[in-house]
Amino acid sequence: MFSFDTLSLLFLLFLILGIIPNIFYSFGYLSHIKRKKHYLVHYFAFILSMTGVIIANTPLLFLLFWELMSLTSWQLILTDAKDEKTTTAARFYFFMTHFGFVFILLFFLIVSNGNVSLPFDQLHPIAKQFAYPTLLFFMLIFGFLSKAGVIPLHVWLPYAHPAAPSAVSAMMSGVMLKIALYGFLRMILEILYPWSLEWGVTILILGALSSVIGVLYALAEHDIKALLANHSIENIGIILIGIGMGMIFDTLHLKLLSTFAFIAAIYHIFNHMSFKSLLFMSAGSVLHETGTKNIEKYGGLIKKMPITAFSFLLAAISISALPPTNGFLSEWMIFQSLLGSSNISDISLKISIPFTIFALALTGGLAIACFVKAFGITFLGLHRSTNAKYAEEVNALMRLGMILMGIVTLSLMLFAPFYIHLFNTSLTPFGWSDITQKIVPNFWNIHSIANNGGVVSPLILLVSLLIITALLVISAKKLGIQKRISHTWACGYNTTAKTQYSATGFAGPIRRFFVWLYKPQIHFHKTTIAGHTTKFKTALYDVHIKPLFETTLYDGTKRVLNIISYYLYRLAHFEQVRYGAIIFNLVLSVLFGYRIVAHQFNWSTFLVEFFILLVSIKILVIGDKK
Amino acid sequence: MIQYLIFIATLIATAPFFMSLIKAVKMWLLYKKPVSLFQGYKDFSKLISKEVIISKEASSITSIAPYMVLAPLLIVLFFLPVPSENSYYVGFVDAFTITGLIALSTFFLMLLGLDSASSFGGIGSSREAFISALVEPAMILVIFSLSLMAKDLGVAKAALNLSNNFPVQHLASFTFAAIAFFILLLAENGRIPVDNPETHLELTMVHEAMILDISGFYLALIESASSIKFMIFATLFVSFFLPFGMHLPFVLALGLFLLKIAFVSITVALIEVNTAKLRLFKVPNLLGIAIIFAFLSLISYYTLGA
Repeated sequence: MFSFDTLSLLFLLFLILGIIPNIFYSFGYLSHIKRKKHYLVHYFAFILSMTGVIIANTPLLFLLFWELMSLTSWQLILTDAKDEKTTTAARFYFFMTHFGFVFILLFFLIVSNGNVSLPFDQLHPIAKQFAYPTLLFFMLIFGFLSKAGVIPLHVWLPYAHPAAPSAVSAMMSGVMLKIALYGFLRMILEILYPWSLEWGVTILILGALSSVIGVLYALAEHDIKALLANHSIENIGIILIGIGMGMIFDTLHLKLLSTFAFIAAIYHIFNHMSFKSLLFMSAGSVLHETGTKNIEKYGGLIKKMPITAFSFLLAAISISALPPTNGFLSEWMIFQSLLGSSNISDISLKISIPFTIFALALTGGLAIACFVKAFGITFLGLHRSTNAKYAEEVNALMRLGMILMGIVTLSLMLFAPFYIHLFNTSLTPFGWSDITQKIVPNFWNIHSIANNGGVVSPLILLVSLLIITALLVISAKKLGIQKRISHTWACGYNTTAKTQYSATGFAGPIRRFFVWLYKPQIHFHKTTIAGHTTKFKTALYDVHIKPLFETTLYDGTKRVLNIISYYLYRLAHFEQVRYGAIIFNLVLSVLFGYRIVAHQFNWSTFLVEFFILLVSIKILVIGDKK
Repeated sequence: MIQYLIFIATLIATAPFFMSLIKAVKMWLLYKKPVSLFQGYKDFSKLISKEVIISKEASSITSIAPYMVLAPLLIVLFFLPVPSENSYYVGFVDAFTITGLIALSTFFLMLLGLDSASSFGGIGSSREAFISALVEPAMILVIFSLSLMAKDLGVAKAALNLSNNFPVQHLASFTFAAIAFFILLLAENGRIPVDNPETHLELTMVHEAMILDISGFYLALIESASSIKFMIFATLFVSFFLPFGMHLPFVLALGLFLLKIAFVSITVALIEVNTAKLRLFKVPNLLGIAIIFAFLSLISYYTLGA
C-alpha cells in the first residue's frame, strides 16, 4: 500500500519544509476569507492528498490521491469566486488537470496489465514487455508535465495561480508542481527505466523552451501573481534541463555525470519550492494590503512593509540565480552538468547542447531584469495609487510565515552540502552511484563532477561579502560621512508618482526586441486639444499580450473542434440508412486498422484498404450529391 | 601571499588611473587638452569628503545598494588570475561565480536607479536590464569554450594553464573567443558603442542615468565600482588572451601586466574615438555578434579542433 523508500522520504521532507510556513501564513490570511470552513477542509485535504501521492505504492492509491489533489486544489481556486475570471480559470484548470489524469490512467493500465493494485516495483517487468515504450513515455509527459506546467501545456498556470488565495498559490506553485515532477521522476526511475537517448533530448528541449518562453512572458506581465506563475514555468524548465541532461548522460553510460545532473535537478526542485513560496507569500501580502494585483498600482511599499519587502528581495535575489544564494547554487550545478556535455562523443549532440546553455543563460539574464522590475516597481519609488499609500505591514502570523520560509531559503544555501548528501542517498537505491564525496568533500565547497573542475563555495562567498560590506560601512563611519535627506537633482524635473518609470516602460526594450514572440496589442488613447496631434490633455498607453501558444495551439484547436462538431451535427441529422453506413465504415476501418497494430503492415494492402474505405465512404455515407 | 595582496592592492589603486588614461587619450585624439592622469584620484578624494544627499523619495535600498554594488566586485578581485605564476592564487572559484557576482552588483545598481522615483533612474535601469540580459549568454558561452581550451574552469588555474602551454592548435577558436570577450568588455563597462559614460543626454545614457541622484560617498563607491569592473574585465582579457610573461620575476611581471592593461585601455579609447554610439535597439546586433563568435569558437573547437 504505502512505501517509505528514500525518494518518498526525501519528498516528505520537501513537503514538510514547504507546508509548515504556509500553514502559519494561511492562518494569518484566514480572516479575509469568507468561506472559512470550505477553505480549511480543502486546504488540509490538499495537504493530505499530496502526502498520499508521495507515499502511495500502488497505481490505485496513487491515482486516488492524485485525483484528490486535483479536486481539492480546484476547489481552493474557487474559494473567493467573485468574478467571471476566477470561475473561468478554475474551469480551465479542471479541464487541464483531467486531461493529464487520462494519460496517467492509461499509463498505469498498460504497465500494470489492468491490475492496478500491484505495487510499483512489480510493474517494471510488465512495462518492459510493452512494444512501444516511447508511447508510455509520452503518456508520462502529457500526464505529469501538464500538471507541472511545461510548454506547451503550461497555459493554465497564469490563470489558475492568480485566481487562488495567495497561500494556496504559494502551495500550488511551490509544492504541487514539484509533486507532479516527483511522479514523473518515480515513473521514469522505477517503471520505465532503460531510457532511449531521444527521451532525454525531448525533455531537454522541452526544458529549454519552457525556461526561455516562461521568463519572456513573465517580463511582459503586469499582474504580479501571473508574473510569478510564469516564472514557475521558467523554473520547471530549468529543472527539466537538469533531468534531461541526467537522462542523456545515463543513456550514454556516463553514470557519474548523470547522478550529478539528477542531484542538480532535485536541488532546484527544493530551491524553487522555497523561493517561489516566499515570493507568492510576499506578493500575497502586498495584494492583501493594496487590494490589486496590478504592479502599476503599487510603489514605495518598502517603507511601510519592510518585512514583506525584504523577504521578497531575498527570494528575488535567489530566483535570479545570483551568488551566493541557493538559486545560484542549483543553477550552477545545472550549468556544470551542461558543461559535462564536452565528454559526449556524439558530435551532433555535443554541438547542440551549447544551445541549451545559451537558453539557460538568456533565461538567467532575463530573470534578473524581470525581478528588478517586480521588486523595483512594487516596493521602490513613490506610491502609484491611494491604496499603496495607506498600506500597512501585514499581521504577525503572515509575517511569521514569510520569515519561516525565508529561513528555509537560507538553510538551503547554508547547508547545501547536507542537502546534496540527502539527494544523493535518495537516488542510490535506484542504481545511481554515491558521489557525495566527490561533490562535497568538505563543508565549504561544492565541486563539479566534470573533468574541467568547477568549484563554488557559498559560505566563503557569503562571509566575504559580509566582511567586505562591513569594512566599507566602517570606513564610512570613520570618515564621518554626513547624510541629509533632501531634494535631489532628477535632471531638474519634479518627481511625482506619475513621472516615475512604469512596469510597462521598464520591460519596454525587451518587449520591443522580442516583438515577434509577443505580438502585443497596443491601445493608445489620447484626447487632443483643438485638433493638434501633438498637444493633448490626457493620454493612456496600454499594452496587452496574449500568449502565442494560447492563440495558436489552444484557440486553433478550439476552432478545429468547432468545425468538426459542426459536421458531426450535420451528420447526426442523416436518415437511418446513413447511420448504418457510418457504422459499417467504422467497423471496416477498425478491421483495417488492426493490421497496423498487429504488425501485418505493408504498403500494397494499405493502399487497397484505403481505396476501399474511400469508395465505401463516398458511396454509402456521403452519397451522390445532386 | 604578499605578492597576491600586492597585486590586489595594485588593481584597486590603479583602477582610477586607467579610467583617466582612457579619457585622456580620447581627449588628446580629439584635439582637446587632455585631463590629468590623476583626475580619477582627485574626483574620488573630493567625493568622499562631501555630504551624502539622499532623495526624499528614496528608501533604505539607497543606503544599502551602493555597498552591494561595490562589495561583490571587490570579492571578484580576490579571485582573479595573478600576473606571476609563482604567487598565491585562489583556485577554487570558477568563472560562473564571477559572472554571478558581477550580475549581483548590476542587480543592486538597477534597484538604485529605480529607488529615487525619478524617470531617469527608471530609463537607465530598464536599458541596463535589457543589455545585461543579452550579455549573459555570450559571457557564459565564452567561458565554456575558454574552459575547454584552458582545461580548467577555475579562472586562475585556466590562466596559468594557458600561459604554460598556449593552445596554438586551437588558435581559431581562441581568436573567436577573444573577439566575443572584447565586445563584452565594451558592453559591460558601458563604453561607447553601447553606452556613453560622459554625456548626460537621456538619449544616450545608461549607466549615468541610474546614478543621477547619488552623491558624495555613495557616488564615490559607485564610481570606484565601475572602474573596478573595468579592471576585472581587462585583467580577465589580458590573462586569457595575452597570456605571456607570467614566468618573469614578480615585479617585472606586474609591470608587464600593467602595460597590457594600458594597451587594453588605449584600444578601448581608440574604439571610442572611431565609432559612434549605437542606437539602443542596435545594441542587440552587436551583442548578437558576440554570441555568434562565442558559438563559432565552440563549434570550431569541437568540429575542427582548431
